[in-house]
Amino acid sequence: MLYALMGLGLALIAGILNIPNFAHGALFAVGAYLTVSAINAVGNFWIALLVAPLGVALLGVAIEYAGVRRLYAAGHDYQLLFTFGLSLIIAEGIILIWGPVGISQLPPPILRGGVDLGFTFYPKYRLFVMVVAGLLVFGTWLFLEKTRYGAIMRAGIENREMVSLLGIDIHKLFTAAFALGAYLAGIAGALTAPIRGLSPGMGVDMLGIAFVVVALGGMGNLLGAIAAGLLIGVAQAVVAAYWTEASVAVIYLVMAAVLVIRPQGLFGIR
Amino acid sequence: MTRPTALLVAAVLVLPFIVRPVLATEIWIFAIFGLGLNLLLGYTGMLSFGQSTFFGSAAYVAGYLLKHTAINIFAALGIGIGVGALSALLVGYLCVQRSGIYFIMLTFALNQLFYFVAYQWTTVTGGEDGMPGIPRPVLAGIDFKDPLAYYAFVSLLFLAALWAMRRIVESPLGRILQAIRENPVRAEAVGYHVPRFKLLAFVIGGAFSGLAGVLYAMLFGIVPLEAISFVFSGNVVFATLIGGSGSLYGPIIGSFVFIWLSESVSTLWARWPLLLGVAFVIVVLFLRGGLVEAWARFWTWRSSKPRR
Repeated sequence: MLYALMGLGLALIAGILNIPNFAHGALFAVGAYLTVSAINAVGNFWIALLVAPLGVALLGVAIEYAGVRRLYAAGHDYQLLFTFGLSLIIAEGIILIWGPVGISQLPPPILRGGVDLGFTFYPKYRLFVMVVAGLLVFGTWLFLEKTRYGAIMRAGIENREMVSLLGIDIHKLFTAAFALGAYLAGIAGALTAPIRGLSPGMGVDMLGIAFVVVALGGMGNLLGAIAAGLLIGVAQAVVAAYWTEASVAVIYLVMAAVLVIRPQGLFGIR
Repeated sequence: MTRPTALLVAAVLVLPFIVRPVLATEIWIFAIFGLGLNLLLGYTGMLSFGQSTFFGSAAYVAGYLLKHTAINIFAALGIGIGVGALSALLVGYLCVQRSGIYFIMLTFALNQLFYFVAYQWTTVTGGEDGMPGIPRPVLAGIDFKDPLAYYAFVSLLFLAALWAMRRIVESPLGRILQAIRENPVRAEAVGYHVPRFKLLAFVIGGAFSGLAGVLYAMLFGIVPLEAISFVFSGNVVFATLIGGSGSLYGPIIGSFVFIWLSESVSTLWARWPLLLGVAFVIVVLFLRGGLVEAWARFWTWRSSKPRR
């Protein structure tokens, strides 16, 4: 589910803004670190979970406004270099602020322990993450499919020029899409913090996975990104149960295998 | 001999006396790596963010053979080039059908696949510690343990690689690739099988990366895990872009600037990737077109100023 969140945010940015966002993993890491800092400052997990992703969304707005905006006409090489540069700055900034050593974070007391599902014993917090991530994915989907702003965003993916000709401020749309993508990355990071702990390298690992999800789901297809995120998550969980060492590589192998059979991705149109 | 070639030969002769020979060697190795990427980026219009896949794979395979067998130095280079080309064939086959940002994302994702294989396969690659103890075999009585001898060997290979690359980009094949860069639809309509030519460019670029990878492994005697990570892929893209991707000599200038700068800065501050990131952002926002173009702009600006 977390993979679906990441992939969805990245697919939004890729689809609407048409830029390869190499800072997406860094935004994810910032979300996790901000959450831990907020927990330590306020002492309340729920407030942190609310605030931290919004902080990441704000960061996203700042990035779009200060840099990405100037690069829409510049070609992918410079967009890549810019976002990659940002991700380096953010990753090193995290080390400077929070230190190079990993941090672990406990779930809030109410979500500790496990639930007996009858056939298996499952940690409460993971169940909570699944539900929240599921709701978020569903909510984003509702927003994109059923609201006017969502319709504008989807129209932006289909045909940018046409949308701006219809009198819609394309720059506001871009900023909004980047902010939404950053928010999804940030909340994925916030939810991950109590599961895997924090380390400065967490962003890059997630970045690769998010790219796989987008490539696998089909380029320019948001539902595909959700489905691919689920598929990757399940594949990884199954392999991890039998052969832990291969659980990361399997993600990429699944992608390679699917692309051999369907080069356009599972639900790809382009 | 044309003027750029004369300048380059002069640079090759002078460089090891200005900077440490190891650094000078690294500059030319990185330039070979950049030449390979530039065939994709500058001449075919494909931005590959996964060049370290080929660089690292070649370094690991050739490094393993150098370590465990008494293999000849040219055989090691040949194997490295072969591994580079073969891995590029595999990756390219999956990537060339896509274009734009999805192409970039795919090259990166497949780079991560190779990275994690190298990371986990510790019995062969050494995982995070890297693969140490790679020798430089003796060739015809010349002991390459002497840094200057190895420098001479590498710089000769670099000049050969540059010559080969110039032959490629000026050949009909090079013209077809440039036609694909300018207008892939038209190139297809004229009758060229675009994906096949893109794949060919990928394989050639991979072969150059493989050569650079083996030379790198022998230079430092170790294959670090970074050699197959996205960090190296990013570095070579950056070096090529600061040099200017449109010209044959761009990546050479870029690699010179990049290696020299990163060497001088990395000794000053452990958090130097932060400065690297800042440099990326500055180049993108203010210096687009690379140093070659910035230089040209500087001269037009100077000559446009009225003389007093």
